[in-house]
Amino acid sequence: MAIEIRNVEKTFGAFTALGGVSLDVRSGELLALLGPSGSGKTTLLRIIAGLDHADAGEVSFDGQDTRDRAARDRKVGFVFQHYALFRHMTVFDNVAFGLRVKKKAERPAEMDIRRRVDQLLTMVQLSHLASRYPSQLSGGQRQRVALARALAIEPKVLLLDEPFGALDAKVRKDLRKWLRHLHDDMHITSIFVTHDQEEALELADRVVVMNHGQIIQVGTPAEVYDHPADSFVFDFLGGVNRLNGVIEAGVARLDGKAVRVDGAVGADGPAVIYVRPHQVELGVAPADGVPDGKWSARVSSLHAAGPVARLELDLAGRALEAQLSRDRLSDLALEVGSWCTVDFRHARVFPAKS
Amino acid sequence: MTAAASTTATKPARRGWAFLAPTILPGFGTAFGFTLAYLCLIVLIPLGHMALRAADVGWDRFWAITLAPRVLHAFYVSFGCALAAALINAVFGLVVAWVLVRYRFPGRRIIDAMVDLPFALPTSVAGIALTAIYAPNGWIGALAKAAGFKIAFTPLGIVIALVFVGMPFIVRTVEPVLQDLDAEVEEAAASLGATRWQTFTKVLLPTILPALITGVALAFARGVGEYGSVIFIAGNIPAVSEIVPLLIVARLEQYDYAGATVIATAMMGVSFLMLLGINFLQRWTRSRHAR
Repeated sequence: MAIEIRNVEKTFGAFTALGGVSLDVRSGELLALLGPSGSGKTTLLRIIAGLDHADAGEVSFDGQDTRDRAARDRKVGFVFQHYALFRHMTVFDNVAFGLRVKKKAERPAEMDIRRRVDQLLTMVQLSHLASRYPSQLSGGQRQRVALARALAIEPKVLLLDEPFGALDAKVRKDLRKWLRHLHDDMHITSIFVTHDQEEALELADRVVVMNHGQIIQVGTPAEVYDHPADSFVFDFLGGVNRLNGVIEAGVARLDGKAVRVDGAVGADGPAVIYVRPHQVELGVAPADGVPDGKWSARVSSLHAAGPVARLELDLAGRALEAQLSRDRLSDLALEVGSWCTVDFRHARVFPAKS
Repeated sequence: MTAAASTTATKPARRGWAFLAPTILPGFGTAFGFTLAYLCLIVLIPLGHMALRAADVGWDRFWAITLAPRVLHAFYVSFGCALAAALINAVFGLVVAWVLVRYRFPGRRIIDAMVDLPFALPTSVAGIALTAIYAPNGWIGALAKAAGFKIAFTPLGIVIALVFVGMPFIVRTVEPVLQDLDAEVEEAAASLGATRWQTFTKVLLPTILPALITGVALAFARGVGEYGSVIFIAGNIPAVSEIVPLLIVARLEQYDYAGATVIATAMMGVSFLMLLGINFLQRWTRSRHAR
């Protein structure tokens, strides 16, 4: 089911949670709402589910306005951050709940409910725990029960609020993969909220980056990562170096040397040059000074565990982080205290905020 | 195989002596001894002595005294009114607890404090206050009189007094459970298609039921034992609005110590059976709703 969101606004007292948000969710896609806390992403999700109401604007499902439809009539599966399982019910009864509260005319026979719940529990790999209570399950298992419960009503939309937020790193990774497979099998339009950029980029078909109640950018993970709309998106999508420079006559300069940048340069004045650690190019420092167009830096620390080495460099008093492969590191024979040349493969420049 | 054998071998031994295992706070012996001595002095010996005194009169007289119509009726009034009041409180106390937990409104702290008033007030104060209002010449009593019935000096008046003294028990036992209950759980039920009524009966009520039963049990026990507030509003008409504790006092005033002791012992027996029953009920709901 496609969802159209038009100019939705929501305030809580003096706080603007959503300031006129518009978004089209395509049928069958897995969409991530990504942003820091307080960016309005959860509020938007709750408005779609009918758990909160927009002050202005509209949300429509397949072209039908949802204003007068209460949460229980929307056929929306909602997975809560803290699972919100019914603790006095077994896993089985939790999953069966949505089927058992249906009106008598629509309610499946008890036999069919049983079959359907068994099916769902098999799908989330929990059939052996059907008679347990939620308090007897681990976090990852509870999350899967919550998911099975939401899927039991055959929702047209699946909404997940920070679905992996309360889980530890290993379980989170496994569940992420598993959710992706599940989505590929079922093709339910799904929206999940996260503040973890890695999760959003890895899992989603499209990513919506939000900040201060506004949508900043919408695009595929590659688009958003490679072509961030502004400095906020660049910053939020992962480790980044910020170097203070200037723009002079349309050229970004760092310590007087020109920096090759992607995209627009902007007006003259103080500027911030953004460069990701893996786009910092290091070279062997020549014996006779620094070649033109490059900078020189001194290695201040070095972490070489795992496939990628991380270096902290001192570039004329600025801290600069760089990432390179272990092979490259041994070619360069760098160690703490040694000098090297620095260049930037890709960088972006944005005017400095006053 | 060996592992299974060893666990079954060690388990019973461990469980049997678990209370002797070293704990963080030492002094099990002293604490346990103190508990026993304390319970004996305060509870067991006085009650046991009373039962022995009652046994002095012999079975036949014991039953004759207990089964006298006036005494039976007093039992009926005492337990019936206490039960009715506890059940009324179960509903309204739940509403009060709900309002206090779920809503933020001006004056909430004052209402919160008011709930505890029946705990703190001497019950005779409550009795006088309630009688003044509910007697036929009082505010509400006059309205009831106009409508053709009496509140004070009838079992209805007793129920009102017991509702008054029992309410805090329900509110204060249910409140923490409600506080603990996430609003998300209700939202989850709604998003799964449950109506408000279904959310209440299938999700909220089962969760708070164990606490509610505990509260009802406490309010009921308090109601059975209540004396001060009831004697004012009840009017104490034999075979109409006379409660067992009052009957005991009346016997004492007539220097009928044997009769008073017998009735007191019977009262103790019935109360004990009721508490036992409530305990079983609690265990049953707890096991059904596992944690």
